[in-house]
Amino acid sequence: MWRTAESPRITVADFFEAGRSILQMDWEANPEAAVGREITEVALNRPGLALAGFLRYFAYRRIQVLGLAEMTYLGSLPAAERIERLQTLAHVPGIVMSRGRRLPAYFRQVCARLGLPVMRTHLVTGHFMNAGTVLMQNLTSPRIRVPGTMIEINGVGVLLEGEPGIGKSEIALALIKRGHSLVADDTTVLTRDSTGAIQGSAVPITREHMEIRGLGIIHVPGLFGVASMRDGMRLDLIIRMQKAAVGADDIDRTGLDAQFRDVLGVPVPLIAVPVAAGRDLTNVVEVAALNQRMKQMGHDAARELDEKLKVALARKD
Amino acid sequence: MDSSKKTTPAAAALTREVTVLNRYGIHARPAALLVKAATGFACEILLEKNGVKVNAKSIMGLLTLEGNHGAKLKIHASGADAAAAIAALADLFERKFFED
Repeated sequence: MWRTAESPRITVADFFEAGRSILQMDWEANPEAAVGREITEVALNRPGLALAGFLRYFAYRRIQVLGLAEMTYLGSLPAAERIERLQTLAHVPGIVMSRGRRLPAYFRQVCARLGLPVMRTHLVTGHFMNAGTVLMQNLTSPRIRVPGTMIEINGVGVLLEGEPGIGKSEIALALIKRGHSLVADDTTVLTRDSTGAIQGSAVPITREHMEIRGLGIIHVPGLFGVASMRDGMRLDLIIRMQKAAVGADDIDRTGLDAQFRDVLGVPVPLIAVPVAAGRDLTNVVEVAALNQRMKQMGHDAARELDEKLKVALARKD
Repeated sequence: MDSSKKTTPAAAALTREVTVLNRYGIHARPAALLVKAATGFACEILLEKNGVKVNAKSIMGLLTLEGNHGAKLKIHASGADAAAAIAALADLFERKFFED
C-alpha cells in the first residue's frame, strides 16, 4: 500500500521561487535572509492593526503584505514613531510590498537592521492576497510519491500502476504516439490542492525521460515534441494492471461496481485491468479514460443498460 | 481501498542501511546495475532516502531518489529471498558500483 503522506515545510525563498512569475515578484531587499527562513503559518496577513499599535492576535508567523493603506498610514506618522512601529515586524518571516511599490529609505534601513527579506509584487494587494494564498497552500499541501506512470488522455488524468515490468511505460509510449501527453513515468507525485482535487506531476529531475526496456532511457519531448508532455494534471482515474489469473474474482465484468482508492483522503475511481498476451491494452486504457469522462458528464453506460434491462424484463413479467 | 496486494509475512521483511560511496552517486549506470541485481530476486525490494521509498526494480524510480555521494540509504526487502537480495544490493554499494 502507499506510504503515508508528508506535508512539506516551506521557506520564504521557496515561496518566492514558486511565485516569482505567477505573482510577478522581485526581490526588494535582503534576499539572502530568505534562505532557510521558514513560514510557520501558511497564510498571508495585512498588518494594519499591528502597525497602528494593536498587537493582540497579531499573526506574526505569516508573510506580511503591505499595501496602499499600510504605506499611507506609516507615511502619516512622525519619523521617529514610524521606526518604532516597524519594530512590530521584527519576527515576521518576510514582507511583500504590493503594486510594485519600493521601500522608502527609513523602512529599508529597519529591514536591513532586522535582516528581514522583502519582496515586491506588481499585483494589486487584493489579487496578490488571493493568488498568494492559493500558491502557498498548494506548496504545503499533503503529497505522496507513488509508483506509477501518469498520462493525460483527452483531458482525463490517468495513473497506470502495476508491478515493474508489466508494461506501464510501453502503454504510455503508445498513448503518446496517439497524441496523448505524459505527466510522469514510473514515479508520480500526487498532491491534494487547495480545492481538494488530487494533482499529479513528475519528480523534476526525471520529468522529461522514460525508460523503455530494450531501448534504455529516452527523452520524450525531444522525440515527440513539447505537446507530448504535461507539467501537471488532475488525477481522475487509477488503472491497475495485473497479470490475468484464472478465476480472478476482482475483475469487474459489468462496470457496475465502481471501486475507489483513497488518495490523501480523496476517493479516486479505480479499475483493475487484466494483462494477457494479445490484449491491446493501449486501446483499453484509452477507452477507460473516455468512459471516465462520460461518467463525469453524468453518463454511466453500465448503469443505463442495466436500467433498460430491468424495464424490459419487468414488462415480460 | 483495494486489497489485492500480496501480503508478506513480517518475519521475512529485512532492512539494511548503506552509504553511496562512488563519487557520482546513483546515476544511470549504477541504477541499471541495481535494477539488474534486484530483478533477479522474487521479493519486493525498496530503496529509501529521507523517508522517500522507491522500487529497486525500476530505473526511473531509483533516479528520482537523487542518491548523491555520501547519502545514507536503506534497503528494504520482503519475501522469501530477502536476505540474499539485500546482500547482493549492499555488495554493489560497497564495490562503488565498480566505479572510481
